[in-house]
Amino acid sequence: MTRRTWLFEPAGAVPYTGANDAMHDLAARRLDEEIPDSLILLEHSPVFTAGRRAKPEHLVWSEQEAVAHGAEVHHIDRGGSFTFHGPGQLVGYPILHLGARPDAAAYLRSLEEAVIRTGAELGVELHRRDDVQTGVFAGDDKVCAIGVRLMRTRVTLHGFAINCDTDLSWFGGIVACGLPDNGVTSLSALTGREVTVREVRPIVRRALAEVFDLAYDAAPEQELDRFRAPLVA
Amino acid sequence: MTSIQMPQLGETIIEGTVLKWLKAEGETVERDEPLFEISTDKVDTEVPSPVAGTLTKIIVAEGQTVPVGTELAEVASDEDAAPTTAGAASSDPATPAPDDGGQAAAEPAQDARDPASDPARDQVGGAAAAVPPAAPAAAMPDRGPRSQILSPLVRRLAQEHGVDLSTVAGTGTGGRITKHDVMAVVASGGGGTAAAPAPAAPAPVPVVAPPSVGAAAAQGETVEPMSHIRKAIASHMLASVNETARAWTMVEVNVDHLVKLRERAKDAFLAANGVKLTYLPFVVRATVDALAAYPPVNSRIVGEDIVTPRAVHMGIAVSYDAGLIVPVIRNADVMNSVGIARAIADLAARARSRQLQPDEVQGATFTITNPGPYGSLISVPIINQPNVGILSLDSIQRRPVVLEGDAIAVRSMVYISMSWDHRLIDGEIATRFLGRVKQNLESWDFAEDLGV
Repeated sequence: MTRRTWLFEPAGAVPYTGANDAMHDLAARRLDEEIPDSLILLEHSPVFTAGRRAKPEHLVWSEQEAVAHGAEVHHIDRGGSFTFHGPGQLVGYPILHLGARPDAAAYLRSLEEAVIRTGAELGVELHRRDDVQTGVFAGDDKVCAIGVRLMRTRVTLHGFAINCDTDLSWFGGIVACGLPDNGVTSLSALTGREVTVREVRPIVRRALAEVFDLAYDAAPEQELDRFRAPLVA
Repeated sequence: MTSIQMPQLGETIIEGTVLKWLKAEGETVERDEPLFEISTDKVDTEVPSPVAGTLTKIIVAEGQTVPVGTELAEVASDEDAAPTTAGAASSDPATPAPDDGGQAAAEPAQDARDPASDPARDQVGGAAAAVPPAAPAAAMPDRGPRSQILSPLVRRLAQEHGVDLSTVAGTGTGGRITKHDVMAVVASGGGGTAAAPAPAAPAPVPVVAPPSVGAAAAQGETVEPMSHIRKAIASHMLASVNETARAWTMVEVNVDHLVKLRERAKDAFLAANGVKLTYLPFVVRATVDALAAYPPVNSRIVGEDIVTPRAVHMGIAVSYDAGLIVPVIRNADVMNSVGIARAIADLAARARSRQLQPDEVQGATFTITNPGPYGSLISVPIINQPNVGILSLDSIQRRPVVLEGDAIAVRSMVYISMSWDHRLIDGEIATRFLGRVKQNLESWDFAEDLGV
């Protein structure tokens, strides 16, 4: 059954806190069956986020150093370890109701599948590394981090982050995903050309629509307002 | 009785870790209200209760990892407790009797064994935290027609705005009342004043204020419910103050050589042992020796008997984001300073990441609290029942002191004090005990103990 899905594609670098709040609010209303599924595709301003399995030693920089570099640090409610979000990275938050008997593992495989298809369209062969961790890899290097939480076992929160032309030096601030032996790469590094978020976004949108059978509607204007950066800082 | 199990979140997810119980035993839970949080290697989620009722029993404690399908808890559903037949509640052995016995009533049935062997019953934190169960039925709020399925959001909104849900027509799936339905009633002026502040005009008669549904917040204040851990700490502390005859004694200790030793040894110690060297292991060592010299300080009252264990299980008060917990170094009397330092670092880290097992916060025979790092000069702690005493290590300060021969010099000094239960020991033994701790700290050469 095709899912009617609100599509949010806010412009510019979106601050983490507001987007995180809006995502939880959308999920709560989805749980109450007040709104349809949603897909949020955006870029964040620089932020390090720590999941529930994050260990303090995986933050290489101190929080003060991270702040001095212009990044925020947030401890959040998803699974997984530390990751980085920032310019040049396409972040996707699908807020989907998985039904009464959700299969979280299948959901994660589908997210990975959509990213693998995206890579294929750009001429890059990506794959899963079930021996390492959830996520999408090129060789040993992670190109897309995935971290998900379920609201009351049924509605998905958080999602995936694909490095398009991300400045990878940001990942020097953390042991990404708590994996010291795996590197981080980007679609630009893999293709040898500049692959921007603007280029990748429609491909990801399409791949997710195929994998999850989504039909997009533009999100209502007042809903989108929550993702817009305030005019006065 | 409904059995709550580790849910199946996907074919390849075979086990999960209970991160946090969101309800304590005895608390009521709505249908579909989050009951606990789990973490798997793939996703985290909060798991809702399948029925409305009372959480009667937690079987799997926080931090434990169990296979999918493992029974985690039992919930007595409202149907179970409904007084449809006289005596129905009392026929269910798991349903606590509505008794005002406070903590005593909260003791689980297995405590019928010799209570002397179970010092765990009064520990703060862990599965043993004694939160009196609510009396069944009587304590349950009126939730309106039982057949009506309502989301917590809708319930909350209705309560906040004083909307009587039985009068609201639902427009959601299957006639469910949605947030919009409630807000429509509110917008049309249909709300009541359930959570509104009480009128300022004084009521003429009442001597005792009626129990309010929730505290009303004045402007500039916030109101949030006490967490289960906070409630457990509160009742534990209050019970101690009510039951013990607390007295307090302090000594001043010259720790100059310990400061120098730590300065000299800390880097090598960290490299060798992977944990930072603090002063606490020295104090634990010195206290363990003093407890061996003065066994009554390591004892407890059980009924009209005095029980004195030979072993020392040292409770260490650890603060963490949810409150206070007292993990226990078991058999501290057979450890050297290195072993104690490692045990403290391990227990404190796991306390703060909520990984402690229930038996690791039970059975302390004496407790040490360490507010010094936060800058306290002198503290008067509350005794961690059923212990006789709690020792406080406050901040080390450079102070001018008078040495032998009336010379004045600057030394690193610290106040070490103990709150003690005058029911069991008297001032002489308390003071001699503290004197022994002082003497140990001032005269022992800990360098050998540290292996540096």
